[in-house]
Amino acid sequence: MRLDGRRRGGTERGGVISSEAATAEGRVEVRDLTKTFGSVTAVDSLSFTVEPGQVTGFLGPNGAGKTTTLRMALGLITPDRGTATIGGTPYAALPRPATRVGAVLETAFHPGRSGRDHLRVYCRAAGLPTRRADDVLAQVGLTPAGGRRAGGYSLGMRQRLGLATALLGDPRVLVLDEPANGLDPEGIQWLRGFLRHLAHDQGRTVLVSSHLLAEVEQTADRVVIVGAGKLVREGSLAELRDESAGTVLVRTPASAQLAAALTGAGAAVESTAPDALTVTGMTTEQVGAHAFSAGVELHELRARTTGLEEVYFRLTSGAEQYAATGGGAS
Amino acid sequence: MNAAVDLVRAEWTKLLTTKVGYWLVAVGALMAAGFTALFTAFAGDQGSGPGGPGGPGLPAVGTEAYASLVAGIPAQVVVIAVVLGVIGTTQEYRHRTATPTFLVTPRRGRVVVAKLVAYAVAGLVLAVAAVAATVLVATLYGGARGGAPDWTADAVGTLLRSGLALVVYAVIGVGVGALVRNQVGAVVGALVYLFVVEPIVASVPATADAYRWLPGGALAALTGDGRGTDLLGTWEGGALLLGYGLLAAVLGTVLAVRRDVV
Repeated sequence: MRLDGRRRGGTERGGVISSEAATAEGRVEVRDLTKTFGSVTAVDSLSFTVEPGQVTGFLGPNGAGKTTTLRMALGLITPDRGTATIGGTPYAALPRPATRVGAVLETAFHPGRSGRDHLRVYCRAAGLPTRRADDVLAQVGLTPAGGRRAGGYSLGMRQRLGLATALLGDPRVLVLDEPANGLDPEGIQWLRGFLRHLAHDQGRTVLVSSHLLAEVEQTADRVVIVGAGKLVREGSLAELRDESAGTVLVRTPASAQLAAALTGAGAAVESTAPDALTVTGMTTEQVGAHAFSAGVELHELRARTTGLEEVYFRLTSGAEQYAATGGGAS
Repeated sequence: MNAAVDLVRAEWTKLLTTKVGYWLVAVGALMAAGFTALFTAFAGDQGSGPGGPGGPGLPAVGTEAYASLVAGIPAQVVVIAVVLGVIGTTQEYRHRTATPTFLVTPRRGRVVVAKLVAYAVAGLVLAVAAVAATVLVATLYGGARGGAPDWTADAVGTLLRSGLALVVYAVIGVGVGALVRNQVGAVVGALVYLFVVEPIVASVPATADAYRWLPGGALAALTGDGRGTDLLGTWEGGALLLGYGLLAAVLGTVLAVRRDVV
């Protein structure tokens, strides 16, 4: 792989200058993008930056404008206002875009054409040697099915073919729109590892959209969250996690005694059941220490892992265009 | 220049890795062979139309009129050429491959131009197949009935112009496909136009005059099978037909460049 030398962490051979140049080349910058379809403003003055060497999750409910934003960044939709650049250049002005940016926007292929022939078509169009078709088939694990009609592929195989198409030109930037849709758990596991490898080990820019936080939670380093076409939050996943930290579940037969101790120590305590408390503003260690010094017996003590999802819901609530009543996203 | 050649080759790869192109060329050749067989089987028969028995019928085999009639047959499969071109562009939208195609080549005008060139060549392949089928059947079957066509310069000229018409109609098809984008709509629209609209325009006295300016009238003028004397000259008709091809190409290109690919 050509990009193996450009690892994260600054120990690569290229030194600071070439590393900075490579970083600039792989940077995706969206500035003030706006697009209106009829009376609906799909994307509204949206700005964010995506850096190489990381997986960036592009999150938002269905209808938040993610696909429109990605299509504008890739020159398929003309924005009403604003710009999107890849390494400082608009996509449509890139000399050989397939060698700079790979995109998986939807599973698009002629059903009567074999996977390998599908890839060869785009090798020719991009001026790449047709053996690249076999390279990328192997890369996504689709070699055995390469000669079969793509119309007979399973959903997971179609997603892999789309990913293979994006990888043809060995691009530094990868853009994936809801790539996990239709993948089975094994496929999702594989995709996560593959995207992390592309970003962390090979230094590529990976921008992956999803309407589910859980889908990118284990993959993404940073998130860009949009709602109703506007930027809601841009930052590292760790920052978002901090916001959700401090919610601890405790089960104890002496809940009143523990609640008093914790409240006295400055935590917000809510009694959710006769023997259960929800504690905000403390870590599990702190809660455990207070329980110990108060001599309270504990039956359960755990941090709530759904906190991040709740932060995401809070950030995007009201932005969902077609929200079902009484239920969250599935 | 290399990039332009690559794009045309990509279009050929698309065409050669699916079945529809092979089918259309086969059907076009079969249609030409069938029409030729039909005209040969009934060659020399007396007409039995409204003029009643004894009216003008099909020319007898071996006559110059027979050769001229047969030489115009490849132009009867223009519908296949149009469908070939229409499918060439609309299948990108039907199977949503317009997205990867325009991602690899964001300067979309180049894609349409590559398609025009690629399908002009595909139209040429169709033309060669249709002309060969016509000549083969006329020579063998006409010979068996006692008079293979005498391939005079006139007849050969008509044959070649009929073939040329297929190339131009394939180009028109690419342009129409780029305009309409919906495959079923474009194919049905083309069929309705060719088999309903043009014949009506040609036969209604009030509009018959306009027919010569339509693609069908230009085609009739080019291939010399028109009965009317109010058609354009051969090469004027050819130029007009080419003009329609270019118009469709330019409109298709401009729209493909301006429209959002969603």
